[in-house]
Parts: sequence; C-alpha cells; structure tokens
Amino acid sequence: MAPQPVVTGLSPKEGPPGTRITIRGEFLGTRPSDLIGLSICGCDCLLSAEWKSPNKIIAHTGPAKGKGDIIVTTISGGIGTSTIQFRAYHETIGPMKESAVWVEESSIQSLAWGRRNMAPVGYTQEDPLGLSIEGNDKKFPEDIRDIFPEGNGDLSQENFSPGWFLLENHHATSFEDLKAGLAYIKRKVESQKEGQLSFLKSNAGSVLDQLDTLMTIRSKIKEDNKLFGSDTLKDLENTIQSSISSSSEIFRDVLERREKADSTRAALTTLNRHKFLFCLPNSVDRCAEAGEYDIIVNDYSRARNLFGKVDIPIFCKVLEEVDIRILNIRRKLHQQLVQLPQSVEQQKKIIKTLINLEIQQADTKAADGFQAVDPAWDAIEARAKYLEATFKKACSQYSLKDANSEKSKYGGEIGELPNRVVFCEEICEIAASQLPDIWRLGQAYFAGELRGASDPKPGDFKKIILTGIEKMCVYLRSAIFYAFDHRSIRSMFPITWPTGGSTQALSQFLVYLPQCLRFIRIAYASLIQLDLPSEALDIIQKLIDEVRIFCLSSFFKRAIDKIKKLNESETWVFSVEDFPGVTVLPSVLEKIIVETLEEGQNVCMNPEIRENNLMDAHPDAQREVSQRLQDMLIAFCNVIELLAYQINEEDAHTPIVSQLIGFPNANQDGFSCRYSGLSWEQRMLCCLANCLYCDKSFFSYIGSVFVKFGYPTPKAAVDSGRTHANLLFSNLLETYVEHKGDPLVGTIEPSMYIGHFQWNTVEFNGKLRPYAQECCDNLVGVYSEIFTISPLLLHAILEPIVQTVAEELARLVSCVQDFNKGGVIQANVDIRLLRDALKLFSNDTAKSYFAEALEVIGTVSADDNRKIEDTLKVIKEQMSLQILCFSIDGL
Amino acid sequence: MSKKPTTGPALHKVIMVGSGGVGKSALTLQFMYDEFVEDYEPTKADSYRKKVVLDGEEVQIDILDTAGQEDYAAIRDNYFRSGEGFLCVFSITDDESFQATQEFREQILRVKNDESIPFLLVGNKCDLNDKRKVPLTECQGRAQQWGVPYVETSAKTRENVDKVFFDLMREIRSRKTEDSKSTSGRAKDKCKRRKLKCILI
Repeated sequence: MAPQPVVTGLSPKEGPPGTRITIRGEFLGTRPSDLIGLSICGCDCLLSAEWKSPNKIIAHTGPAKGKGDIIVTTISGGIGTSTIQFRAYHETIGPMKESAVWVEESSIQSLAWGRRNMAPVGYTQEDPLGLSIEGNDKKFPEDIRDIFPEGNGDLSQENFSPGWFLLENHHATSFEDLKAGLAYIKRKVESQKEGQLSFLKSNAGSVLDQLDTLMTIRSKIKEDNKLFGSDTLKDLENTIQSSISSSSEIFRDVLERREKADSTRAALTTLNRHKFLFCLPNSVDRCAEAGEYDIIVNDYSRARNLFGKVDIPIFCKVLEEVDIRILNIRRKLHQQLVQLPQSVEQQKKIIKTLINLEIQQADTKAADGFQAVDPAWDAIEARAKYLEATFKKACSQYSLKDANSEKSKYGGEIGELPNRVVFCEEICEIAASQLPDIWRLGQAYFAGELRGASDPKPGDFKKIILTGIEKMCVYLRSAIFYAFDHRSIRSMFPITWPTGGSTQALSQFLVYLPQCLRFIRIAYASLIQLDLPSEALDIIQKLIDEVRIFCLSSFFKRAIDKIKKLNESETWVFSVEDFPGVTVLPSVLEKIIVETLEEGQNVCMNPEIRENNLMDAHPDAQREVSQRLQDMLIAFCNVIELLAYQINEEDAHTPIVSQLIGFPNANQDGFSCRYSGLSWEQRMLCCLANCLYCDKSFFSYIGSVFVKFGYPTPKAAVDSGRTHANLLFSNLLETYVEHKGDPLVGTIEPSMYIGHFQWNTVEFNGKLRPYAQECCDNLVGVYSEIFTISPLLLHAILEPIVQTVAEELARLVSCVQDFNKGGVIQANVDIRLLRDALKLFSNDTAKSYFAEALEVIGTVSADDNRKIEDTLKVIKEQMSLQILCFSIDGL
Repeated sequence: MSKKPTTGPALHKVIMVGSGGVGKSALTLQFMYDEFVEDYEPTKADSYRKKVVLDGEEVQIDILDTAGQEDYAAIRDNYFRSGEGFLCVFSITDDESFQATQEFREQILRVKNDESIPFLLVGNKCDLNDKRKVPLTECQGRAQQWGVPYVETSAKTRENVDKVFFDLMREIRSRKTEDSKSTSGRAKDKCKRRKLKCILI
C-alpha cells in the first residue's frame, strides 16, 4: 500500500465558496479513479475534483465556512490529511456581486437584535451599536479564531467575545464612532431596565383586548355547560366513534362495489372474446364474399392464438367449424386462383392469403382435408395453360372467320384488315400482355415472396416461359408463312390455316406484312423489358428475322412484278446523255429498285432493339437478296427483249428496198412512224443501246446502289444480269443485222446484173457501176439510222453488214466466168472504192473477202492500174459526201 | 499573543513578496515540488508547508506565497504580520520590479517594526542574463544599503533555489534562539510593537 496522501500546498489558501483551488502534495492517487474522496473544510468536493497528477489536484470549494483541513482519500493510500488549512469565508452578497452559492439575502432575524445573523447585510439599525457597518465589508483578514480561541463572534452564543465581534464587524470603524455606539448600547440597556410597568403602560390596549377575549370564552363555556351538561366531551367522543364506524362501513361498501365492477368487467372482456370467436365462422364467410382476405387471415390467426390451445369444448367446437369454413375458403380461393383472366396483383393477393391460411391451419385436423402445396406454382401453371388456350382460341376464331369470308365474299371488305393480320395483332397482344404477367408472377415466386412450404422449380418455370414464347412464334409463323412457304412449314406445325391458295387474298396480306412485323416487334419490345432470359428472347428474334427476310423478299417480289410490267411505261425518250440511245427504262428500273430498297430499309433492314443486322447474321438473306436482284435484272432484260421484238403491223414489211429494182419504200422516213414516234428498227436500236448500257455500266451502278443501302455487294447477281444483257444484246444484234443486211446484200446481185449486164462486154467509162453506188447508198442509209439513235452501236452493227457485203461481192466476182479488159478495170474500180470507203467498218474477215474478190478479178497492168487509180480519185471526189460519212467513227 | 503551543518540529514562516510576475510562485513550487511552471497565473495567496531537514534538524517550513498585483496590496499588511522571514523577489530583467522592492521593504519594516527581521533580496531569472536590465552592482549596492544578503536565483534551472530558502530559515532559526535567550528585552520590544499596532487600528 502506498503512503497516505498528504497535502502540502494550496493555491489559494482561502476563498469564498466555489473557489478554484489547486491542491498540491504527495501520493494524491495514482490515477483519476484512484481518488475516491476529497473534503475541504468538511465539505465533500470530490465531484468537482480534477486529478492531474499524484502531486496535484484541482477542485472547487464547497459552501463551507471557516478554517479546515483538506482530507484526501485514495484507494492506494487511504485517508490522508493536510499540513496546511484552507480558510473559507462568505462574502457579502449584493445585487452586483457574483456568488457561487445561495446566500439568503433578506435576513430572517427580526424578533430581537440579539438573534442577528453574523453576515451583516446592511441594516444599520440592526447593528447593536447602532452604527453603520459600511466600509467594513472587507473581511478582517487574519483569522480571528487564532486571536480568540475560546470566543465567538455570535451575539447569541454563550461564549460571545466582544473583541471578536468588534474585529469582525467594526475593524474599520473609527474610535469616535465606537464611542457613540457604546453610548447607544447604554441607552438601550437603560430603556430595558425601566421594567414591566412601563411595558404594560405602553401595551395597555392589547392587554385589555386579551382580557376581553378571555371573558368571552369563559361565558361561552358556561352557556354550553348549561345546555349540554357538564360532560360535553363524552358526547363528542360518542359522535366521533359513530362517525368512524360509519365511515369504515362506507369504505368497505366501496371496496365491495369495486370488486363487483372488476369481476363484471372481466366477464365482459371474456364475453367479448367469445363473441369474436362465435361470430368468426359467419364473419369469415362474409369477408370471403367481400374479398377481404386480409381480414380473414388476421381474424383467423387471432382466433388461433387465442383459442388454439384452449381445451374448453365449446371453443374447440367453434374453432373446428371455423377451420372447416377456412378450408372451404381455401378451396374456393384456389379455384379462383386458377381462373383467368385476372390481374397478377389479385393472384398475388390470393396466393398470399392461401399461404398464410395454410401455414396457420397446418397443424389442425382440418388441414388434411385440402392440400394445396404450392399455390403460386399452380397459378403460374394456370396462366401458362390459359395463355395457350387463348392462343388456340384466337387461332380457331380467326381462321374460321377467314375461311367463312373466303367462302362468302371473295377478298373480304375493302378497308378492313385481313383476318390474318388481325390475328397476328391479337396473338402479339396476348403474348405481350400475358407473358409479362407470368414472368412477374414467376419472379415474385422465385424471390420468395409467394413461396409456400415447398421448394421452387426453376427448370419448369423456364420451360413454361420458353414454351409460351415458342407457341406464340408457331402461331405467328403459321399465319404469316403458311400459305407461302408451303410444305415444310405445313408439315412442321400442327396448326393449319385454312386459307388455301386464293392468290388475291395472299397478295392482299402481303401488303400488311410490315404491319405484322411491327406487331411482333412491339410485343418483342415489351418482352425485352422484362429481363427474360436471352434464350427466350432469341426465339422471338429468330422469328422476327425470318419475318424480316420474308418481308424483304416480298418487297423484291413486288418489285419484280412491277419490272415485268415496265414495257408499258417505255416512252422511247432518250434520257442518258453520255450514252445516246438509252431510254428512260433503266432510270425507271432504278427508281423502282431504290423505292424497294428504301421500303426494305425502313421496314426490315434497320435493326431495332435487340436485333441484328439482317445481312450479317443470315446468309439466307444475302442469298435471297442476291437471287432477287438477279431475278429483277433478268426480268428487266426480258422486258427489253419484249420491247425489241414488239413489231407493229405497219413495220412488218421490209424497210430497205432497192430503188434499182423499183419497190417503192413507203416508210423510208422512219420518224413518221405512228408508234411511239419511232420505227421498229429505231426501237430495236434503242433496245440495243439499253442492253449495252446495262451491260457496260448500269447494272454495276445498281450493284453500287445496293451497297449504298448497306447490302453486301451483289456481284454474282450483277454479273449474271450482265451476262444476260450481253446475250440479249448479241441476239438482238443478230436479228437487226439480219434484218438490215439481208435485203441490202440481196439487192447487190440483181442490181449488178440489171439490164443484162455482162462482165465480158464492159466498156469502162470511168464511172462507178450503179450497184456499187446503190450499195454504198444503202449502207449510208443504215449508217444514218444507227447514228441518229446511238452512234455507239455503229461498229457493232455495221461491221457484220460490211462483212456480208464483202462476202457477197467476193462470191459474185468469183461466179463471173469471164472479164474483158474493161470489166476488169470496172470491177477493180467498184470493189476498191467500196473497200476504201468501208475501210473503217471492215473487220479482218471483210478485208480478206475484199482481197479475195480483187484476186479473183485478176491482175491489172500498170497502165490500167494507173487508170483505175485516177478514176477512183475522180469518183471519190464525186462521192466525197458518202465517203466522208463512213469516215466518221461513231465512237 | 496567545498561540497554540506547537508540538513537534519547529515551524518557520516564510513569506514571499515582490511585484507580479517576478517568479515568487515559481520559486516556491520549484522548492516545494521540484517543478517549474511555465504558464503564468496570478497568485492570490497560496500556502505551502513541508518538513525539511535544516542542518540535521527536522523543521517545518511554511511558505505564504502572496499576490504581487496591486489589487491585493491593501491586505498585505495582515499577511506580513504573521511572517517570520521574507524573501523579497524581483526579476533581473525588469527594472520596475527592482524598484518596487524598496516599497516592499518599507512596508515590511513598518508592519514588523523590526529592522533586523530575516530578509533576503532575491534577483530571480538569472538564467536570462542576456536580458538583464538591473545591473548586478546596483542590486548588491541596495542589499548592502539594507544590510541584507543578495542572491541571484533561477526558478527555471533551480539555481540557488534551495539556498535562499535554507539561508532564510537559518536566519529565522538564529533569530528565534536569540529571542528566547533575551526574552525580556524582546518581550518588551514586542509589547511596544503591539501597543503601536493598537494605536494604528
């Protein structure tokens, strides 16, 4: 144990109550909690003590007075005291002076000056010396007790020491004043010594009053004695006794009544409870009818809690009845639960009620009567069934309707949507409204909100959702694809759509395909929001993609149909500047294609939420588009072909006739043709130009348009189109050349031998033979015809014609048996002229034919040759215009 | 007058005087508890008492640490009356405090009415010699003039702290023995002093 605490220092050593004091010393405790007691001048100051260190404590003094020890108590050292003392004094309290303790301001002494309190408050007249003590309020610093160890400053005390009193109260009073005070006291004493007589004298009035009162009391008592006898007290006692007994009786009575009231109240409470129980069967039924299941659950649980473990038979009986009612309600609710349509909320409510009721009824006898293991699951299954039923119903309803309308009225009412479209809408709506409900119910079920006793079955639920979505897709497919994509789907799906093959109805339906697609997408979007597993969404996405492709293909098909009818819109107006001879047809085609593509873009190509780019994801789609484009291009070629071979009756005759032979040519002027302002030959030329244009640039351009719309380059389709166009071109060319060349070539022979001309009787006159002239002119005619339509075609057409002409000449010359000299020269002149004039349009074959012809004629002498040259020069000058014409290349 | 006869070791009452902030409390606390208080808090009147061994004899020293501030000047008289020895402290860094010692000396002499009362002139804060405002010679001159010893101390470094207290106690002790030897003369002297006091009151 540590040494006792000892206090050796105080700062400050004196002060009024509340002084902050620093206590110093030794062993004042080892820690704050070690200090368990501090008393200053007998006043407990532990509350205000603040332990600083084993040597220092800070505290505030209490309302003690006088000199006293500081006593410190610690756990470690016990009780210790101080070597010095603290002096506590009270200061005079004035209105302006602060004080830490309550000091009574108004002094209570007033009976006698001798009872005066030691704390002077400033009543000058109260001072025994009759002096003012103003100026004495500063305390006398030295401890008076040291000076007067036996004395006391209190006037009322036996050991009163006047010296103390004077030092305490009048240490600042002057000697003169003290003398005056002495005189004052003396006077007072003198006046007291005057005795009782003077006291009576001065208080005569009140003494007489007292006497009067005493007299009155005495006479009253006498009167009473006369009236009630002298023993009045006995009466009084009796009365008091009786009143005591009667009051205790009243009290007992009150107690009794209270007991009665208590028991009545208890009885009433019990009755109330009973009432609740007895009413329960009926109220339960009532609530069930009103649909207030919460109340049923609450009431039932209350009843179970209150009476479930009670053995009183009547309660048990009632409770049993309640159980049976509840059981019935549960049965009814369960039936209600699987009855659709109804809202999910309603179902949830019913499920919760069912679960609650089941849990509460679990351990009763009645519980065996009905076991609905998992109402939520039942609800989900019921919904799934209902969904399927709704699908089926809609299907049968609309298919029937469709079949009926098919029979009764061909095509249905105008302006009304086809039943099939309405069906699609209906199916989508059903899916979009019911699937979310199932899903929500399922979510709540798996989240544990609606879970009953048994464990959930996740696999089954997923299957239900998937089946629901698949069913929807099946129905939609059957409606949309059935009629179009025949056997495969027909065999795949058990559902049949009755509409057989009314093409009009089908094409009518095709128009609404985008609308169907929209319906599906809307349903899809609403399903996406549900956070369904992607597996489920993929099913719909697949369907959507299929419909998109189908839709796209239907657009293309429509475009093809349009293209097939293009021949009606041919105007034969040249529309391409840098490709003369090309008509509006290609631009019309382009327009149709762009329109189709735009439509396709809007409806099918643009991927919507959670959809893929159609072309990327589906090679089928690419193939389809490519195929369709090819079809379109071929259809276009066919149109051109159709147009090219469209021969009007007026044009049916041979257009070019030899003037030498003498057939009049009525339609020499081609532009006077009534049909479209162009003759058949000219139209043929236009078609040729179109073919060429398509082959050379237009089809590639169409390809680029496709690319522009985001399709993959349809190279195969374009190539095949071009091949087709090329083939058509050569066919047409052949037809045209044949048409043009045959008469031209045919006229050469008759013209050559006109007027019984013989090559061995020729007399050369330095002129060209008319046949050569005519041949030349005819070629110029063909040339001009082509040139007006499309100079680009000149080479292609003239070359084969020139070739046949050369061949014919070679043949004719080789058939001549004999040439005289003049004939040789003449033939040379003719053929050379033609050869030179047609040089530009002669291919190698033609050139070889010319050479062959000249060879057959035989060689000529130098003189003759010169003569031929000269003659040619002259003739060329004469025919300069025609020759000039051939020298201009169309390109 | 009549005092309770003190049993046990002799009690020597020392009073610390001097202007505010010169280090009276610091000296006291250093002497009492070997601690140096850095923060300044004006003292009102503190009391300390402990046992010490003075020249092989166990005595009790009672230290009254008074207020240096003017506010309390009026009540100093009462304190001084009970003092047996005085440590008159000033700061060697503060000339005013040195000048004030004159006033304290006069007041003590007036109250005690005794020229040879045990008295030490103490120049504190001698660790701050570089900030010295009062020349050593001046201090020594004044001490000589009063016929008292002069000691320079530092409450911070505890230099000469014990010395001043023990020196003073020795003086008090020798004074007391002197008193008891020549009781008659002193007693007379004391009576005379009391008379004087009464007249004063």
